[in-house]
Amino acid sequence: MDYTKQIQDIAGRLFSEGKIDIFIGYRNTGFDENQVPVLIHQYKDVDQLLFTDKSVFNLANYLKYEHTRNKRVGLIVKGCDSRALNLMLTESQVKRENLYIIGIACEGVVNETGEKAQNCVECMMPDAVVYDELLGSATGKREYQVNADIRELDEKTLTDRVEYFEEIFENCIRCNACRHSCPLCYCAKCCIDQETATLFHGANTTSSAFHALMTWSLHLAGRCVDCRNCEKACPIHLPLHLLHKLNEKVIYENFQENLAGMTEGDRGAFYKYSLSDPDDFIL
Amino acid sequence: MARVGVFVCFCGANIADFVDVPAVTEEAKKIKEVKYAIEYKYMCSDPGQQMIRDAIVQHRLTSVVVAACSPRMHEKTFRKALSDAGMNPYLLEVANIREHSSWVHQKDKKAATEKASDLIRMAVAKSIANEQLHEISVPVTKRALVIGGGIAGIQAALDIADARIPVVLVEKSPSIGGRMAQLDETFPTLDCSQCILTPKMVDVASHPFIELLPYSEVMELDGYVGNYKAKIKRKASYVNFDTCTGCGACWQKCPVKVPNEFNMGIDKRKAIYSPFPQAVPNKPVIDAEHCTMLLKGKCGICAKVCEKGSIDYTMQDEIVEREIGAVVVATGYDLWDPSPYEEYGVGRYKDIITSLEFERMVSANGPTGGVPVRPSDGKVPKRVVFIKCVGSRDEAKGIEYCSKICCMYTAKHAILLHHKVHDSHAYIFYMDIRAAGKGYEEFVKRAQVETGATYLRGRVSKIYKKGENLMVRGEDAQLGQVVEVEADLVVLATAIYPYKDNPDLARLLGISYDKYGYLSEAHPKLRPVETAKAGIYLAGCTQAPKDIPDTVAQASAAAAKVCGLFAGDTLKKDPMISTVNTEFCTGCQNCVTVCPYQAIVTEEIPLGHGSKEMRIVAKVNEGVCQGCGSCVAICRSMAIDLAGFTDMQIINEIVSI
Repeated sequence: MDYTKQIQDIAGRLFSEGKIDIFIGYRNTGFDENQVPVLIHQYKDVDQLLFTDKSVFNLANYLKYEHTRNKRVGLIVKGCDSRALNLMLTESQVKRENLYIIGIACEGVVNETGEKAQNCVECMMPDAVVYDELLGSATGKREYQVNADIRELDEKTLTDRVEYFEEIFENCIRCNACRHSCPLCYCAKCCIDQETATLFHGANTTSSAFHALMTWSLHLAGRCVDCRNCEKACPIHLPLHLLHKLNEKVIYENFQENLAGMTEGDRGAFYKYSLSDPDDFIL
Repeated sequence: MARVGVFVCFCGANIADFVDVPAVTEEAKKIKEVKYAIEYKYMCSDPGQQMIRDAIVQHRLTSVVVAACSPRMHEKTFRKALSDAGMNPYLLEVANIREHSSWVHQKDKKAATEKASDLIRMAVAKSIANEQLHEISVPVTKRALVIGGGIAGIQAALDIADARIPVVLVEKSPSIGGRMAQLDETFPTLDCSQCILTPKMVDVASHPFIELLPYSEVMELDGYVGNYKAKIKRKASYVNFDTCTGCGACWQKCPVKVPNEFNMGIDKRKAIYSPFPQAVPNKPVIDAEHCTMLLKGKCGICAKVCEKGSIDYTMQDEIVEREIGAVVVATGYDLWDPSPYEEYGVGRYKDIITSLEFERMVSANGPTGGVPVRPSDGKVPKRVVFIKCVGSRDEAKGIEYCSKICCMYTAKHAILLHHKVHDSHAYIFYMDIRAAGKGYEEFVKRAQVETGATYLRGRVSKIYKKGENLMVRGEDAQLGQVVEVEADLVVLATAIYPYKDNPDLARLLGISYDKYGYLSEAHPKLRPVETAKAGIYLAGCTQAPKDIPDTVAQASAAAAKVCGLFAGDTLKKDPMISTVNTEFCTGCQNCVTVCPYQAIVTEEIPLGHGSKEMRIVAKVNEGVCQGCGSCVAICRSMAIDLAGFTDMQIINEIVSI
């Protein structure tokens, strides 16, 4: 999977036609084989751009910051990224007319060891779902399946599961990199940072990191697209996907939904009301 | 500095028996902010309220906590006491130490006392963050919507309209009348059902304040008490009601025959039909599922014979909108399907029928001209077995509740059978005879004595075929032996059950329903016609099984509630509504989608101070918001707060224990 040339051409064309102010893409770090996101402002920089199976980051994340707000932006999205972008569009965080989207029919990216990333192995929708131009050939949606690690977690009793999470999140240093790297965590003032949140913690028996991560995961329930930007950003490599994938399973069982952001306008299971919603709890 | 007064109620023995009230009061005094605490036998009584009023003045209280029963019971009472003493009524907090403590922990007084103290501590903590709030006035649309045109809907509509309030009466079938129109004679006086019902039906049609929408269904209800907006689907009738005279030429000539729902499928009706001769409006409709013209485009006989040219095959469903202030739901009941009673041979033997089928047979305008006949061979039955409680009071196969009317109508059926077939004999298998009501017991006696009906106490275990007849095997519990009765016809007193689509209607209206699908009243004793949603009332069997007198009484009660609601020009509304902190609002509009009342809209505000760039934020419409708190829960950035239940108040409560 190498679309470097096509992307350089498209970005160059967009700049020369004056259609965009900023292009968000990937470039080499310059000191190793890995890539980092880059924001390009002018035509002469487009030769920095590249796209290979090391283009791991979700670029939709850069649409939530001040420097892209209300600017005309070109960007590259893989399948998962495009779904996050769809949710941002649905939740009025970006305007579609400001975007030029290069969608990728993704074949999966690799992790640091060169193996296919776990979320790409499990990926249910590798093709970009929103784009102006699609690179590669679409392969379509795949079956939903619950993976072994999640099934194991789900089978634990409630107390065991709390203990398990307490243990693995014990090392969290509350740096909030997970939040900053998530395209769907765009709130101007995060609830975790509000004064009332510390009071909540006063009444809580859990650790502050666990409490913060649980709140965070619930705010992403039904919205998380499994791009794993958070895990890539986490300096101590916490398995944050466990929270999201477990939520995904619960939501799938109750609402038969497993893919957030497949279409623009779909807000996810928690933010809509349907007559067929389960209501077994009504006495 | 907060100065809180705590008033603990004994509620007679209700609280005092299971909670150590003086100890609770002493405990309350230890809370730093509590400047005054006292207990009294009945806080809601006048002297009790006077204690509150006096203490507010004497101790310069800044908020008041009453530890008593549920706030649903007396919150209003105590709020009034506060405002009488010159205090903002919303500075009151009620700690519910009755339903939440004494009643549910009757076995452990110590624990109940501790819990009561905790509840008070929480209420005190919450009350410290209470703010002064003021009632909101909203305008009211004085028009009522009645859903269902049975006797309940008819009575409610007439009573409301007689108070000179416009009513929109929506009925899903082509004619009003409902179940009562299907009945022959009614217990306990045996007056003819149609004779007493049809004048009311005609009154509905001719009443200047009633707009009758037959063959229509409510599709949507938006808004809030006093200001609802209903979308009503007028199903295509394919007949122009304005020109149709109801002459009947069309349905006489129509070649398509369909089972007649009005006669419980005993005979056939045509594809263009009016359900019964006394129908109101007495205009036919075309059944689109069976009409050959609509299905295949061939036939058109009804259009040819119609002298007025009223038939219009191109007619489409039409959505009409009505602005209304209140709703009466009177959708009535269905019959429970007795097929789980396999041992009775339901479905296998033709001569087992339901009570409503029997009712249609003995009815003078029924399919058999008022004479009961056996479905299998058309002979007049001589020995008829009636089985009561089919479905009712049967946890194993049916439902737990008593359908209330079966004892009475079965007695009536025995009498009617005797009237129609003089040499017949009725056998009635029963569990109990429940005949509580004016003239009811006498009526059952009449069935037993006058018609000589044999009442056998016990359940039927099996029905099997013997020749042309049915053998009913059951138990006579009084003799303690098995009895077998040979019967020409078996009539099952099947239970009353709510319509399948009742839950859908409930969700559409935003009211609650029970596990069977009956719509729930706000309080089983003290608010039996209201629902939990303001401005929506219940009448008739949609709430629970009822006989006609009860249904009519409840319908009139619902009408009185509607009239009371419309008595003033504006409605006062609780100020417990949401507000948006635009600084935190991200404009994601999830609150807009989850709001069940469509109370949240968006507005554009400058991005920053003096900025020309704009951003979208949410905005709550005060008049529409009902304070349900859905938006508060859904808001990830905690930009929405609910007055009276602010995050601060709730956190204070949680932290206090």
